Amino acid sequence: MAAKPYGLIATFDTTPAVYHAAEKVRDAGYKNWDCITPFPIHGLDKAMGVKRSHVPKFSLLGGIIGFTAGMSLIYWSSAIDYPLIVGGKPYFSPLFAFPVSYELTILFTAFATIIGMFVLNRLPMHYHPVLKSSKILSGMDDKFHIVVEASDPKFNLAHTKALLEQAGGKDIQELEA
Amino acid sequence: MSTHAATAPAALPSESSTSSCAGKALVVGIAGIVLTIIGLFISGGKTVAFSWLTGMTFWTAIAIGMLMLVMIHHILDSSWSVVLRRQYEHGLAAFPWLALLFVPLVVVSWMGDHDLLWKWMNPNYDLGSGHTVGHDPLYVKKASFLNLPMFTAMTALCFIVWIWLSARLRKASFTQDADGDLKWTFMNRKTAAFGLILGATTLTLASIYWVKSLDYHWFSTMFGVWFFANCARGALSVGVLMLLWLYARGDLKGVLNTNHLHSAGMLVFAFTVFWAYITFSQYFLIWNANIPEETFWYNLREITKAGEPSQWKYVGMFLLFGHFLLPFLYLLSYKNKIVHSRIKPICIWILFVIAVDMIYNIAPAVKDYVTGEPLPFLSMNLLWTATSIVGIGGVCLWAYLKSFTTTKLIPIRDPRINECLTHHE
Repeated sequence: MAAKPYGLIATFDTTPAVYHAAEKVRDAGYKNWDCITPFPIHGLDKAMGVKRSHVPKFSLLGGIIGFTAGMSLIYWSSAIDYPLIVGGKPYFSPLFAFPVSYELTILFTAFATIIGMFVLNRLPMHYHPVLKSSKILSGMDDKFHIVVEASDPKFNLAHTKALLEQAGGKDIQELEA
Repeated sequence: MSTHAATAPAALPSESSTSSCAGKALVVGIAGIVLTIIGLFISGGKTVAFSWLTGMTFWTAIAIGMLMLVMIHHILDSSWSVVLRRQYEHGLAAFPWLALLFVPLVVVSWMGDHDLLWKWMNPNYDLGSGHTVGHDPLYVKKASFLNLPMFTAMTALCFIVWIWLSARLRKASFTQDADGDLKWTFMNRKTAAFGLILGATTLTLASIYWVKSLDYHWFSTMFGVWFFANCARGALSVGVLMLLWLYARGDLKGVLNTNHLHSAGMLVFAFTVFWAYITFSQYFLIWNANIPEETFWYNLREITKAGEPSQWKYVGMFLLFGHFLLPFLYLLSYKNKIVHSRIKPICIWILFVIAVDMIYNIAPAVKDYVTGEPLPFLSMNLLWTATSIVGIGGVCLWAYLKSFTTTKLIPIRDPRINECLTHHE
């Protein structure tokens, strides 16, 4: 085995067990760790201390850029680059620029949301050390796991192992980096 | 089925008294109505009649919104809104009273020259250009739709449909509390299936007869949808306020969670955008086509005959920013949707701007006798509109609170109640 493992993986048999263990790991102050469960467990985010996603910030930024792009596109093209009177209307009015700006707001918001999501969750990820472990198979079937990464500042092989054991984790193994 | 009742943490009858609140609401309602009647002797029948129409439209819109939201809940088989739905079902108790309070408007239309509110009811009404309504081609073409018997029949039909649908939905839901029979859920789903069509048709008819026909020259295919946007938004805001009130009283402790408020808040946000979309589209199409039969409606609300900006222009701008931009930006935030002290003020604000929107659509139809200009926004009209809204609102609140004590706090035997109580993102 390599000098430094990727982290520790502990197995739990039931949803409440992994839920309460997650609370203990959270309260111990760990940051780089995750739960592997076969299905979504409601409230687990809270038990893990996961904050709300930052994706909405990307969305807002995308929306603002889209709206501004629409307004300036219409303004520049119809009032500056090629001034043309259409239907007795002024060269520029936010009214007729609105439908375009509105659509671009939605389009750019959607783009920013998708891109923001992929930036933040770092998908697609073709390799992850957990995939090397046979545990991942039971984690997709009928078992629950907690993985604490060695990169966590609080990580200490003996202490972390003790914490996971105390939290009810079974069959604690080191993961190859 | 019995497990539902067993696991519901608040499977208690709503015994906690609301009768004292109901009494107060009725007193406020009657006080508002009395003040409005006093207004008759100060500002005259016409002004007060328009104010009463504004108040009626405002509260009927909210009741219609509740009816539509209950039916949308059933047709989509929603789970998260089961708790909220019960409060709407109580709110629907206001419909018979709204019908009663609408009667004076129909009665005055049958009296005298028939043109106290809707000038097209009087064929001899002088349009000021030497023509009368009866000789106006734009009226003659619409005469089979816009006439007093049709108006009376359609208004009665609308109220009958709303009261009937409400009674069906309420009876099925309340009976299920007692027997837990699933057939009531299916019955409500069927009611919703045809009720949504009836509801959409009647609310469009009502908005055209009551509000749009005040200026019967005008065309707008957006009008019914505009009305619906206000209905749904008003009902959602009132719904959130009901939930917050019941939570603060202690009734919904352990029942209402942040995700309910988040979902309701997202709907308020969605209808904010929907209102803006519809209202902007109506304005934009008329502005772009620039046809006099349509633009006059906005000219009345923007400039005087001399071309000066009138007060209504600023009311319009207020609606643009207050009805759309402010709630839009405010409700983008997650926190502002779930923290009780943050969602409450914006719901109250939205109800206020909906009232202003109703005033904007109705009040400029009242013309000054001398100049023929619309009465300004800041006139005695506004005072009697306020008293009408308080008066009718008090009666609606009283009807809600009276209904509140007749059944359980939440539909404890609804098949979706467990999903609702554990609602999550």
